[in-house]
Amino acid sequence: MADAGLLNVVLFLPLVAIVLLVAVPPREEGMVRGMSFWVMLAQFALTAWLYARFDGGVGGLQFETRLPWIPGWGVYYQIGLDGYNVLLVLLTAFLGPLVVAGAFTAVTKDVKLFYAMVFLIQFAMMGAFVAQDLFLFYLFWETMMIPMFLIIGIWGGERRLYATYKFVLYTAFGSILMLAAVIYLVYSLQTTTGVTSFAFADLYQAKLPLSAQTLLLIAFGLSFAIKVPIVPLHTWLPDAHVEAPTTGSVILAGVLLKMGTYGFMKLGFPLFPDATQMLIPLIMVLAVVSIVYGACLALVQNDIKKIIAYSSISHLGYVMLGLASLDLLGIQGAVIQMVSHGLTAAGLFLIVGMIYERCHTRELAAYGGLAKLLPVYSLFFMILTLASIGLPTTSGFTGEFLVLLGAFTASWPQYQHGNTLPLVLSVTAVSGVVLGALYMLRLAQHFLFGTAKAPHLPVADLDLREKLILATIVVAVFALGLYPDEPMRKTELAAKQFQQLVTTARLPGSTP
Amino acid sequence: MSEVFFGMLPEHLLLLGIVLLLTLEIASEKPRGGLPLSLVVVGAAAVAATWLYAAGYSAVPFPGHYSVTATGMLAKAVVLALGIPVLLLARDDFPEGPFYPLLLSSLYGFCLLLSSDSFLTLFLGLEIMSLPVYVLVLLAFGRPEGPEAALKYLVLGGTATAMFLMGVSLLYGGSATLALSAFASALGSHDVMATAAIVLVVLAFFLKAAIVPFHAWAPDAYEGASLTVTAYMATIIKAGVLLAALRLFGTTPVSGRMVELLAILPLVSIVWGNLAAMRQHSFRRMIAYSSIAHAGYLFYAFLGAGPGRFQAVVFYLVAYGVTNILAFASIPRGDDATRDRLENLEGLFQRDPYAAVMIGVAMLSLAGIPPFPGFVAKFLIFKNVIAAGYTAYAVLGLVGSYLGIYFYLRVIQKMFMGAAVPGAVRAGPGGLALAASVLCLIPTILLALFPGWVFGRF
Repeated sequence: MADAGLLNVVLFLPLVAIVLLVAVPPREEGMVRGMSFWVMLAQFALTAWLYARFDGGVGGLQFETRLPWIPGWGVYYQIGLDGYNVLLVLLTAFLGPLVVAGAFTAVTKDVKLFYAMVFLIQFAMMGAFVAQDLFLFYLFWETMMIPMFLIIGIWGGERRLYATYKFVLYTAFGSILMLAAVIYLVYSLQTTTGVTSFAFADLYQAKLPLSAQTLLLIAFGLSFAIKVPIVPLHTWLPDAHVEAPTTGSVILAGVLLKMGTYGFMKLGFPLFPDATQMLIPLIMVLAVVSIVYGACLALVQNDIKKIIAYSSISHLGYVMLGLASLDLLGIQGAVIQMVSHGLTAAGLFLIVGMIYERCHTRELAAYGGLAKLLPVYSLFFMILTLASIGLPTTSGFTGEFLVLLGAFTASWPQYQHGNTLPLVLSVTAVSGVVLGALYMLRLAQHFLFGTAKAPHLPVADLDLREKLILATIVVAVFALGLYPDEPMRKTELAAKQFQQLVTTARLPGSTP
Repeated sequence: MSEVFFGMLPEHLLLLGIVLLLTLEIASEKPRGGLPLSLVVVGAAAVAATWLYAAGYSAVPFPGHYSVTATGMLAKAVVLALGIPVLLLARDDFPEGPFYPLLLSSLYGFCLLLSSDSFLTLFLGLEIMSLPVYVLVLLAFGRPEGPEAALKYLVLGGTATAMFLMGVSLLYGGSATLALSAFASALGSHDVMATAAIVLVVLAFFLKAAIVPFHAWAPDAYEGASLTVTAYMATIIKAGVLLAALRLFGTTPVSGRMVELLAILPLVSIVWGNLAAMRQHSFRRMIAYSSIAHAGYLFYAFLGAGPGRFQAVVFYLVAYGVTNILAFASIPRGDDATRDRLENLEGLFQRDPYAAVMIGVAMLSLAGIPPFPGFVAKFLIFKNVIAAGYTAYAVLGLVGSYLGIYFYLRVIQKMFMGAAVPGAVRAGPGGLALAASVLCLIPTILLALFPGWVFGRF
């Protein structure tokens, strides 16, 4: 019970921080930064405590709070941790202090507003993960849009307005369709079962005809696919990443994109199992296209941030592939891959942000031989590069390996039954690993080796704050790579539940 | 006798205020005290209405024409309470003069129509509510657009009145009764005369609520009026028109061709209002187009039937009203022409963070973005439309509302991302406007946090 209260504290701590920030005089920028950091650290400490107490052997919700909110509609304030969200909540809280500390020197304009927006988006992301009621989830989902709009629009690069409107207009379009689908879904549940509820657990019981399931899955799916993003809905991402300040990119790549894959895992697929089964070939094709196309685009970019942005599209393609494989290992791999990408992409954006702060350019051609100029920087850069490629012992390896394993396991029996498509797709997906090595090593080669050059010489190497930030991420990357067993035990039951929900037919008239 | 006294207590108080204000005007060379007197009167009327609501009072002072229910009292209390921030805003525009008695008369009409049972009282209410506004628009003396705007508004308002009367006469001819229920029963009939009557009445309401293609007067009238009067027209008058329509439709479901009548033009309004608002440089014109779109959502609510329709319309009007007035109250001070220009908002966050955040909240709420009350309001409407089985219209309406996000965000962009205008006025809203914005902010927060508690009362 006390722990359930703790989860509420974790959720609302950022809001408290915003109130405190308002009270701080605007000139006291140091105080704003310090306070923001400590609040985020406190949030992480509490979340880590909850994570440690989370029991992977028990199915269903833990640390649950359920209070009536809009009784007339069956809307509850219901939050809790389960195997689906526990790792993502931990990831969100883990990145919080790093995001704040990473912006200490980079953000000098409207510092108070900046941290207020970082807290607001932290609150919304945390809320979207822990919400167990569709209405609540939608509120948090939509709330994420506004702080991001401001973060990119106020503190972004030269084409920030274009990028931020593109981000918002893409996101809002998905949300509008999802809103229609939410209303329709709840209304259908009400007419078929007589239960008026937005609770996920109740919605999993809804039995809808295939046509309705398909339309609803498309409406939900578009919204999630834009967030992931899945090719061809990805075009907002490079612009948003390139124009966003480092903080914005880290939040986007670290957590926000996982909102999409989490949405598919928690809502999209399990709510509409029959439509999902029917559309799985399409989803797999799109996932593999994202993997390969994202990697190919990353290969030809000259803007460092764009390379990482396109690599995100490729990496999240694996998550989709793992979920769509419906194989237990694949699903677990997808979850690990989400966290792993959150760590490596956040780390890469942070480290790129650090050089950008010193040299003010993201052009790959402007740099060379940084290994000689900035040895510590280059060491961290190389580790993160290798983690992104998925070298064994790093987290990237665990995720991608499990996903590919799952995809093969699932496609082999189908191949024996004469369906070659899944196998072809799985084999194609492997090429993403090779391409991933290619574009990341190309980046590292141009960046770290060759003739030493950089704009604004001499360049100072990392200071203590920056070293600590990167070291924290590197430790986490290795921890997840070497001991994936521990987090996987916490998510195993959820993966099983997901598998069972999606593979059980739920058409009207079918018995569970 | 007590029924006439208590049942119409809010109206009596308003009437007393009007008489006092007029006497003051005649008696004194330089009349003063218009604002405090009006505040006291409107406040007292609101308290009286709340009290009668809390006591569960219901009575029939004039059988067949005028009856009072507890819910009606609550609606009156809400409208009168909304009038208070409008009055607070008025001092900058109208230090003294005929503004106050006119506004009180208009509110009197509003209260009348909320309790009307017959076409006669409904018509009286609507006209008493609208007529003073024609003058209020004209009252923006310094503005050259004033007379033109007022004339346009007057002529088109008159046309709407004529259409309404024509429709009512046809209904009376068919049913020989003036009771409002005649409208609801005509909704279900296939009689040509009844259908013609309904179409005329609905179109009259469309004209008054500025639904496309009857919307062209709204941007001009809003632009010609002073900011306070624009705020009043965009919120309270619009609410009056919609609530009058609600009295007519009651809880009767619509069917057949009526659905198309009530869905297509409002849909076009949503789309066109949101598109046209993108191109505006004047705050008032932008709000005008935005209100055209919002009228579209509101008429959408009529597709749903039963108590849900009432809840949806009332909640929407309240949410829309408070957030709209919140925006008007937070516009930085200055002369009228400067205040109206959207460019004036550039970099407002640097000059006055409070005002910028308030306008931002109002814009997001109007755009229907959670967690602000505008979202729940929109949710309620589309929920009813889908529950009534018109999923396609609901999806189209939602896509139309998506178009609106851009121009609301553009205001936020100007305030937060723009560079401050050199030489721009530093000060945000002054004392009374600040009070008005706080008065609107409180219900905005309450509506966002406890929406269920609010619409559980209707």
